[in-house]
Parts: sequence; C-alpha cells; structure tokens
Amino acid sequence: MTKRILYLLFASLFPVTIWAQGSITGTITDAQTGETIPGANVYIPELERGDASDVDGVYNIANIPEGSYTLTVTYVGYSTHEQTVQVGSGQTVVVNIEMQMGAIGLDELVVSGYASVNKRELTGSIASVSSEEIENISLQNTEGLLQGRAAGVTVTSASGNPGGAFRVTIRGNGSVNAATEPLYVVDGVPLSFEGQSTQASSSPLNAINPSDIESIEVLKDAASASIYGAQAAAGVVIITTKRGRAGATQITARAETGVRSLARSVDYVSTPEYLDYLGEARFFNGTSPSIEAGREVYENFFIDYFGTPNNDGVLADYDWQDFIYEEGATQKYNITASGGSESTRFYLGGGFEDTQGTALNSDFTRLNLRSNVDHTVNERFNTSVNINLSRSTQFGVCQGGNYTNCPTSLAMLESRMSFPFLEDGSYNPLTNFGLASNPAVIRDEVDRNVSVLSIISDVKLTYRLTDWLNVSGFAGVDYRNTEDERFDSVIANSGDNGSIFFANRNVFNSTMNAVVNASQTFDGVHNVSGFAGIEYRRVYDEFVSTRGIGLPGQFFKVLGATAEPTIADGSNTEWRQGSYFGTLRYNYDEKYMLTFVARYDGNSRFGADTRWGFFPSFSGAWRISEEDFFDVDVLDELKLRVGYGITGNSRIGNFASRGLFSTAGTYQGSTALSPSQLANVNLGWEEAKELNIGLDYEFLQGRITGAVDVYNKTIDELLFARPLPFDSGFSSITENIGSIRNRGIEFEISSVNINTRDFQWNTRFNISFTENEILELPNGEDVNPTSTTEALKIGKPIGLIQVPRWAGVNPADGRPMWYNAEGHITYNPEQAVDGIEYKDGRENITGGFGNTLSYKGFTLDAFFQYSFGQWAFASTDYYFTRTPDFYSTMSAEVRDRWRQPGDQTYYPRAITVGGDFPETADYRTQMGTQAIYNASYIRLKNVMLSYNLPASVTQRIGLADVRLFASAINLLTWTAWPWYDPEVAFDTRDIYTNVTTASYPTERQINAGIEIRF
Amino acid sequence: MLLLIIFAGCNDILEDVEPPTSVSGELVLTTEDGVNALRSRLYSIMRANSGFTTQYMVAPSAFTDETRARTGATRYVNLNVAVGTSGTAHLSAAGSVYGLINVANHMISGVEDGVVPAEVLNRYKGEAYVLRAFAMHTLVRAWGYEPGNYGQGPESNWDKGIIIRTEPTLDVADADNRPRSSVEEAYAQIIQDLEQARTLLAGYNDNNTYVTEAFAVGLLARVHLYAGNWAEAASLAQEAINISGRTLETSESGVAGMFFETQGGHPEALFKIVVDPNTEPIAGSNVNEGLAAFTSSQWVSQVPTQKVLDLYNEGDYRREHWYQPCFNSQQGTPVGGCEDVNEPGVSTNKWNGDKGNLADDIPYMRVAELYLIWAEAAAKAANSPSAGAEPLQALKDARNAGSIPSEALANIDAFEDEILNERIRELIVEGHRFWDLKRLGRDIRHPDGSIKMFADSYRILAPIGASARAVNPLLEENPVYN
Repeated sequence: MTKRILYLLFASLFPVTIWAQGSITGTITDAQTGETIPGANVYIPELERGDASDVDGVYNIANIPEGSYTLTVTYVGYSTHEQTVQVGSGQTVVVNIEMQMGAIGLDELVVSGYASVNKRELTGSIASVSSEEIENISLQNTEGLLQGRAAGVTVTSASGNPGGAFRVTIRGNGSVNAATEPLYVVDGVPLSFEGQSTQASSSPLNAINPSDIESIEVLKDAASASIYGAQAAAGVVIITTKRGRAGATQITARAETGVRSLARSVDYVSTPEYLDYLGEARFFNGTSPSIEAGREVYENFFIDYFGTPNNDGVLADYDWQDFIYEEGATQKYNITASGGSESTRFYLGGGFEDTQGTALNSDFTRLNLRSNVDHTVNERFNTSVNINLSRSTQFGVCQGGNYTNCPTSLAMLESRMSFPFLEDGSYNPLTNFGLASNPAVIRDEVDRNVSVLSIISDVKLTYRLTDWLNVSGFAGVDYRNTEDERFDSVIANSGDNGSIFFANRNVFNSTMNAVVNASQTFDGVHNVSGFAGIEYRRVYDEFVSTRGIGLPGQFFKVLGATAEPTIADGSNTEWRQGSYFGTLRYNYDEKYMLTFVARYDGNSRFGADTRWGFFPSFSGAWRISEEDFFDVDVLDELKLRVGYGITGNSRIGNFASRGLFSTAGTYQGSTALSPSQLANVNLGWEEAKELNIGLDYEFLQGRITGAVDVYNKTIDELLFARPLPFDSGFSSITENIGSIRNRGIEFEISSVNINTRDFQWNTRFNISFTENEILELPNGEDVNPTSTTEALKIGKPIGLIQVPRWAGVNPADGRPMWYNAEGHITYNPEQAVDGIEYKDGRENITGGFGNTLSYKGFTLDAFFQYSFGQWAFASTDYYFTRTPDFYSTMSAEVRDRWRQPGDQTYYPRAITVGGDFPETADYRTQMGTQAIYNASYIRLKNVMLSYNLPASVTQRIGLADVRLFASAINLLTWTAWPWYDPEVAFDTRDIYTNVTTASYPTERQINAGIEIRF
Repeated sequence: MLLLIIFAGCNDILEDVEPPTSVSGELVLTTEDGVNALRSRLYSIMRANSGFTTQYMVAPSAFTDETRARTGATRYVNLNVAVGTSGTAHLSAAGSVYGLINVANHMISGVEDGVVPAEVLNRYKGEAYVLRAFAMHTLVRAWGYEPGNYGQGPESNWDKGIIIRTEPTLDVADADNRPRSSVEEAYAQIIQDLEQARTLLAGYNDNNTYVTEAFAVGLLARVHLYAGNWAEAASLAQEAINISGRTLETSESGVAGMFFETQGGHPEALFKIVVDPNTEPIAGSNVNEGLAAFTSSQWVSQVPTQKVLDLYNEGDYRREHWYQPCFNSQQGTPVGGCEDVNEPGVSTNKWNGDKGNLADDIPYMRVAELYLIWAEAAAKAANSPSAGAEPLQALKDARNAGSIPSEALANIDAFEDEILNERIRELIVEGHRFWDLKRLGRDIRHPDGSIKMFADSYRILAPIGASARAVNPLLEENPVYN
C-alpha cells in the first residue's frame, strides 16, 4: 500500500533540474580564547548535510544550491551556534564562527517523532539525554541509561542480571490490565516487545549498543506523544543513533574491562548462633529442660540431616551467598568509523561485550554491527539506510520466585549447615532441598542458554519537491529471533533421566510510512510548517517449543539424544495498525508558537465498531523573553508552554474484542472447542488525556538552563474484566471501564558553574514528584479490597499495601502482637478485618543529580540517582529468613530477640517454627506493618574518572586523542532497606511494585579502559 | 483523497487477523468440524472440572462419614470438619455446571440444520440434553431442597431452585440477570430434557464412552428417586437396566477388576468419561487434582472410615478388593496416617490411576446403582420392604455379601437404613452419600455417630456467595447465609 503511494507521488514529479552550486566554508574558534576548535559539527538542516571541522578548525560544505540556509554548529561544552546564511548561485560564502562556552541550551535539535524540531520551537514536554551523558556508562541497554536522567521517567531494575530487563514508566502508572511500558522507536522503527525469552530476564533494547546512540528523547506529555496516537499513552522513547558527517574519516577504538559484584549482601547468622537460637526455642516452648539441652537435640538432628563436611561431627557454617554470588569479569570493545564525502556519509560501529553476572554462571555477550549510511543522490534526492545487526547471548538463571532451584532464592533458602561438595568432590546430596536443588548442581548441571539475533533496519528516501516541500518514504523492520535452551543433566533432573527444552521464537515487526513535509515563511515573520503521513505497522510473532527427556549419560546436550519427546508446542499471533497522522506548526516571529498534532489509528485489536481512534493535541508556547516589555538582563530565555492532548494505549490483547471459541482440551483424541470469550464490538484503547504546563528558562548566557513542568494526566477507558452472571457460562467480559489519574511536577536544571580554560565544573539535577489515584473501577466497586498488596481502591494509588498494624513483642512472654481494627492488641489478626491502608509501592519522588569536573586532561563525573516513597514486601526474605521453619538461613534480625521477661525487643522469642507460639498467628507467615520496608534509596549510579593525554604526546605517536578512564556503576547505595536490593519491580509490567520475590539483585561494576581516536 | 482511497481497503487488512487457537462462533456452529469439536467439549469440560470429577465423586463422602483425611493429609479436610459456622466448605460447583449448560445449549439450539447429518445432530443433541439435565440436577440438589422437602430447613417453605438457562449465551446481551426458578420448575425442565433425550438417543447403548440412552433413562430414575416419585423411579430403573444390555458383575474377579481400566474397564457403567493419561488431565492435573491423587496415591488424603469397613460382611468381594494398604504409587512408598482413620490402614482403590499418570476413566452411573434405586423405590412405592427385596438381594448376591438381614425387612424405615448402608458399601466415593442423607432428611453424622450437621441446619444447602450476588442482584441467597 505504502509502495503504491510512493509510486504515485514520485511518478507525478517534474524532471530534475540542475542548478549552479555554491559552498560555505570557515573556521570555528573559541570566543574567549580565540583557539581553533577541531571536531565541531557544522550542519545545514535544510539539506540534511554538514561537515566536521578539521584539526585547524576549518570546515567546508560544498554543492549548495542557491538559497537561504540555517547553519548549525555544535560542540561539546559549547552553546549551539545558529545563523542564517544566504548562498548565491555558484557563490562561496565564508562564515567564521566563534563558539560560546555554555551548557546545552535551547538551540539544540530535538527529535520529536517523524521530524526534528529546534528546542526553541518546542511546545510540548520532551526530555533529552545526549550521547555525551551516556556513552561512558557500561550498561547493556538503553532503559538502564535513562535511570535518573530524565525527570518523570521512572526506571527500576526488574532483574540485575547482565542484559536484564527494566521496568520503565513515564509519568506514573497508567494502566492496570494493558501494557505499561512506553513505545520505543529506534531511528523511526518502533520496537516490538513480543516473544521474549523465558530462560533469562532480557530486553529487546539489548540489540542496540549504547555507544552507537546519539540521543534519547522521551516524549512525556500528550502534546508531543500524540503523534504516535494509540501507541503513546505510556509515553514514547525515541532513540537516535549516530550518523556520519562529510570530512576526514574519524576512527575511534575503545577497550574496557572490569569486574561485577553484588552491590549489597545480607547478614545471616552463623551456624553456632542458629543452634543457640533453636536451643532457646526448645527451652521456651517447653520441649527441652534447658537451652543447652535443646541446642544439643538440634545439633544432633542437623548432623544427621545435613551431614558434616569432614565427617567429624562438626556442622558446616557455609556462606552460600559467597558461593552463589561470585564476582564476574566484563570486557567490552568498540570500534567506530565515521566520515564520508559530500554525497555519501557513513557511520560504522562494531562492538563486542562479554559481561559475567554474579549469580552462578549468569552471563551476557553481544556482538553488534551498525551501519548508518546517508547518500545524496542529487539536489532533490536523499536516501539513508540504517542497519543494526546484533547477536546477544545470555546464560540465564532462574529468578523471581520462591523456588528451590533458583540461585537467587537459594541464597536465602539454603542452610549454612549444608555445603556443596562432599570430601570426594561429588555433589552433596544432603543439601536442604536435596541433590537437584544443591546450588552446585544448579551451577554445573543446568544450562539456560538464550541467544537472540536481532535485525533493526530501515531505509528512507526523501525527495525535495520545492524549497518548502519534500516527501519521504520509510520502511523499517525489527526482526528478532530468540532461541531458548534449557538443559538439565541426569543429576539435575533424575526423575526424567535428564531433559532438554528448546524454544524458537520469531518476531516480525515491520513499519512503512510516507510523509509529506512542508515549511514556509510569509512576510518574514509567519512561519508555517508541518507534515502529514500515513503508516502501516504489522507485528507477527510465533514460537515453537519442544522438550525431550531421557539422556544417555553426560555426553549429549541436543534434543536428538533424548529418549522421549514430552512437549511439542507452537503458536503464533499478530496485530496490525493503519494510521494517518499530521502536525501543523505556526510560529509568529519565533515568539508565539502553536502546534496541532493529530493521529487517526485503526487497529486490528479494537472492536468492530471502534476500529478507528482519533488522537489530537494542541499546544502553544510563548517566548516571554522576546517581548519588548521583558527586560531582565540575566535571563536570556523564558518560554511558557501549554499543551493538551489525547493518546491511547492499544496494547489490550490481540483478540480481546472478539467473540471466540477456543481449543479446550480433547476428548478421545478429538479436539474440543469451547465458547471462551464474548465479543465486545466496542472494545477500544485506553485513553489518556493530559494537560501539561511548562516553563523553559536559560540565564547567565546559557550557563544555567532548565525547565519546570506540571501535568495532570487522566487515563480513562481502562480495561477491566466486568463480571457477568456466572449462569451465562462466562465469568466476565473485558470492557473499557475505569479511570486513573497521574499528576506531577518535574524540575530540571543544569549549570556551568565554573568555566575557565583549564577548569570546568558542570552540574545537573532533576526531580519529579508524582501522584497516582484510582478514580473509577467497574461497578464503582473496589477490586480485591482486602488484598495485602493487590487491592485497587477508588481514591487510592495502585500498589496500596494493607496489613494489620504491628504492636511489637509482648515483654512478658516474647509473643508477637498486632493491633486489631478496634486498636486493641491481638495475637491473631485477620487480614480482611484488621488490615490498615499502610503504605504503597509507588516511587513518588525520583530523579538524579550529577557533577562533572574537568581540569586540563582530567575529567571526573559523578552521577547519583534516587527514589523515595516506595515501600515493599520482600516476600522471600520475609517468609524464609526470619524463622527456622525450613532450616534456611536466618537474617541478623533474630539477634535482637526476646530472651527474658521484661525484654523490649523487635523480634519475639526464639521459635522452632512460625506456629510455635500458643494461640498466636504463625509468625512466619502473618503479615503486619513490621513486614513492610521502605525501599527509598540514593545511589551513586555512575562515577567516572578519565584522563586525556596531552595533544603533544598523542601527536608524537600519531593519534588524534587518547583517553584513559576508570568507572564504577552502583558503587554506593544509601538505603534503609535491609534486604538485597531496594529496586523493587517484579517484572517490566509490574504495576503494584510492592512485592519482591527473590529477584536478581542489582550489581556493582568497576571498569577501566582506554579510548583512542585516530 | 488519494489517502482515503488507499485506506478504504485498509479496514480489511485490519480485520483480516485471526487468532491461532480460537475461531469465531459462526465458524463453529456452521461447520461439521466445528460441531464435532463442540460435542467433544461436552465431555472435555466435564473431565476438566473438579465439580464433575474429583469434587463430584469424593466430596460427598468427605462431607459425611465415608472418608476422613489420614493424619498428615489436608485435601478436603475442611469438608471433614464442621465446627461452628466457619471452616467448613460446601459442595457446589456452579461455575462448571453453567459452563457445561452453555456448551449444551449451543449444541441444542445453536447449530444450524444441515451442517451435520440429521441423525448425527439428533444424537449430539440427545447427549447435550442429558448432560444439561445432569448439570442442572447436580446444582439443584446443592442449592435447593428436594421436591416436597421445602420445610426441611429454617424456612417453612423454601422452594428456591436454580437459574434455568436453555438458550446459548451468544452475546453479552444474553448474559442477563435472572432470578432463581423454583425447585419444581427445575425438576420439570430436567425431566423434560431427559424425556426428549431418550427419544433422540434411542438405540445408542453399546458405546458407554458417550452418553447412552440407558444413561438418560437411568438418570431419569435417579431424578425421580430424588423427587420421591417412587413408582416412576422403580420402573425407570428396571427399564434402564434392560436397555443398557449390561449386567452386574457377579464373579470375584469381575468385582475386583471392574474399576481397573486394565482389567474390567467399568463393564457396569452406563456412561463413563474416558481419560487419556497423557493429554487429558482430570481437573487440571491427574497428579495433583485427580481422583486417584485424592484417594489412593499422591496425597492419599481421603481414606475410608472404620465405619465403612465395619459394614461389610465376611467374604464380601468389595471389602476384599476395593481397599488396599495405603501406598503412594507415585513415589513408590508406603503412606502412614491411614491407620488413624481405619484400623487396617487402607485406602479405597476405586480410583487407582492404573491408566498411568494417576488417570482413571470416570463412570457416572453403574448398573448397581439402578438396582439400589429399584430396591428403594419399589419398597417405598408399595410401602413394603419385601417389594424391594429382590433387586437388593440380587446386588448382594453379585457381591457375595450374604442375605438381607431379617431386621431390615421388618419395616420400611429399617429397609431404608439397609439401603443406605448398601449404598455406602457399593457406591463409596462415587458421589452419593451426602445427597442420599440430604434427600431423605437425615442428619449428617461423623463416623463415630455424633452429629456433624442436623438435617434442619441451614448449612445443608450450599451458599450462593456474595460475589455472585453482587453481579446479579436478582439472585437470592439461601436462608441464614446472608
């Protein structure tokens, strides 16, 4: 279809005319020192071409047709320079440019979806993160890079394993039953999150090497995001990769190595302390006459139960945390080349990374190639091709559940009295949960291999019809193949005599669009610009999985070697979307700006009667500082922005609107079909309506810049299952009912504090406050109203935690006490009655701050990220490390226990099992406010020290630049959270974020490396 | 303009997306494959739901005095106890009942004529009528009192039955709120369905893996027995025996092997559901939720009480062969704790998982039950024990169980006692005990004879539940539960 349009448009064009060509050339210098600046980027947006200044600061852009152009010059640490240049036919214009030092200001270009906009003309709320800020950080994917760097974007690690996923929300939780992650667009290609691995936590963004990224833009408000219509309600993240500029080829090589270790460990009591505890427990519950006697009973029992490592009757005191979380090595190599001629520019990047995680054998490797090529065919025709190929592998580990075969839970569940190997080197079969759950067996006898092949590629053709009008055609593909392999040796799975599971998943995600772009200025002050386009997107994903059991000994790890197939499974699903979209901008004298954006989306997921949705937005800006009456010397720029718009969340399930009969088992070999879902022809998207008011400011010649934004976002038409009378044969129907509101304030500031020739000091800071409230639920009734962590209540935020209030330990007898609903002491609280609305799992204050200090060749950068307001329940730690029920570890919390009448303690008297107290709730499982911990934290996310060798040295060895650096990620964390990791998100779509279950904790990484530019 | 033209065709592209393992209702009801798949669902839905399998068979025993949880086991332990008004469950499987009814309704009035040959469709419809009646009866006996017993509970005339649905739910508008009908209306619908079905199924009796004509007639006998229509029940029971072409197993080996699919394979069953151990799990998982998992392996949770074992005479084949020492065949280890429930420490092996993977075929009515219905109904119709002696003695003879004790023939009440005892001996863990006591207005007792629940207790009826009533305000709760 898109092809047809392109054909029609192109067929109707005039033949190409040749004009006499001019050029622009000049020298770029520092305004204060007069020194030349090599490597500055000079760019003509109208031609989408430019050059980089050479070692003498000279640039040259040739083959410029007659006309008026904007010349944009950018260089790190300087304000962007912009000026209009008139080029006559065949004329060479000399433009020498003096660059002013300053923070990144309002002059930079911002990618805003289908087009770039000068930040000055922006009317919506967009957060930008540039390559300078992120390219030195050793993280595997883009989501991690955003953490703390864009106000209003909350990023939480869902798994600390290298390449693991992050939960990303933009401006709060916007859905209950549809997807909550933002739309990611890489160079115009929207990414698919379908069909991911089940063997390791992973992200499709792992395909993109962070060092290839030029900038990340987050479209936060509806006014900017509505250009993506029904896909944009959760915000849009636009990733733009680096491009080449005409000029000498620049080659950069970078090598880096480091170690990864557990960011925080937890203190567990030793075996002697454990025995003391149990001795006390027997004494207090009356089963032993003295503590010593009780201790002896248990010691003998455990010697029998666990054995002893040297068969000498001395119980082990083994530190499983050390065994499970070993240090991992990381190495990373990148090489890039960019440059090209006037007509053809290129950026080539290649990278290899191997990062070992801490938990057992967890590991991530990525080999990637990127090739971005731009070619100017002639004055009218521009083409570009971007190809990103990546193959990543992960060695996964089981995580995120109270499983006896997950290392992350075994770090808590395995007893210090057990040990991995017997004297003869064989696996110890007497670990807490038997041979198959011995962490050494899981390390050495189970493989979870994931390999992902990803191709993200696009081609774009742009044709300039006239000075003010061009058309472009775009085709993009995001293909991902994921192979999951799980091998359990005969030792790990003796019941099946060994097993192999294999799954092959494919996602074909293609997007095609055609856009007409126009820009015209009338009477010198009325600028009208805009674009209109159509788009088609299709996402198809499929999988095949198989499992075989029965392996002949240790020799083989392929399905062909298994004796018996047990699973043959496979399926596929798809969705499609067709869209019209457009933007109309008007600005008067660069003082008053108006933008109208609209998108009309049709989606295969929507009901037959609501197939198409309309998503408009209006926004305006007023540059107050341009007014005559505004006369404040220090203030260079003050811009007020107001925007209102509607966006949708179309991720409602591919067939949620259909009336369906589904396969439902078989009878005597014949497949059964059963009525499974009633049609809802009116089922549609969830709809967000957002008002955003913002203020951009810049003062002291651009040394201080920033923005303040206030928003109110109401998400209506939320998907909920409306219960039906069960005698209908259906329990519910999915309908658009329910409403949530997110409100917040975001503040960003960056400053150049000191800027001398030898010493620079820059600071950046951002903070956002968010508030979440449920406004409407099905039938006006709360959902799961008495649930501990998953209640949805009108007037409350998502993630509410309800538990009975803890009343402490009875000093008389050491029993745990709670308060009942009447405020009286109770020993048996009842969740439904006595639970109070206690805290919630929302991170309501988040942000980051950083400082960069440069002295001569040295640069020190430290970036902190923080999160406040989140409270959570650490389920594995709570259920398994506070009592000796399962002979697992016990946290140091038990040391402060009640020992004699009169003791005022936090922990009750020692117990043999949670139910040891007479007439009292089970202390192991009874929830209360004592079980809920504050997960707020401040983290030194990234710190880096680098040194650029002086030019005198590098020139002698024939190199342009040599930089040595050392960096650390997650070096320090300040938190009151007593468990592994205060970053609580069960998975990428966890909306409650108030429970963590043996998740893979965040890791600390320390690296050093060298970067050479030739 | 151009764009509009192009996108006019785009709606088709958007609508042209089909789910991988689902199809639209039109496709199912208008194609032969679809109708065959719908028929399979009549049976797979029963197999897949505890309300027609494990709960249906085992819970009425656990709720009364036939089984108790062995020490250390927890499955259905809540049904065993009854302390105060909390901590007890009740037997009602309304969700799965209406799931089956909706599938049956699709078959009865959703399939267009001509999609499958009329003869085939008639048979399928006959099966659907029987299963709809079966589902309704399963629920009406849990929600309401039997016809005529409306004064049994705390209310003087509580005759509320179930919600009757005889049309398929094709659209959300069909899922309207309806009040409960009376028990009378429900029984009338059930009897009408079964009468209809026996015509449609006439002659289909050989293959008992699908609903048979004899099962339709036998179920009619059971329903009339519950309704106290003694004469109809007695004659229909005999008729069902005759048309089934099946007889009582009379040899020791025949009785011993009848529940083992590898041996007898339910020769007495008028209708049984076949379970493939590899692809057709009972109630989700044979190993965790299946009949054998609850009674003879895996959890070995509900084991026969001493009271049950004491009921058998010396030499009764059933005592000899339907019980075995408690053993977990899944793990190959003996299981302790049974001896706290019965002296020899045995479990019942009616559900024995001998198809592998703890799977069993599930018979819903055996010839033996028809003899018991015949005996009870004939005696009561004539108000004379001797009228029912013949079929009862026939069953006892088949099981080598001796003669009817003379005191049982003394009066009709004594005969009813003996019938109830014979029903325990014959039908333990086949889904009868609680319903027998309820329909006869008997108190529910613990194995030691102490009262668990008086016959006039409101808890004899199942609660409807607040969540169902929140959705449907017309749905009335049973007395006292409010």
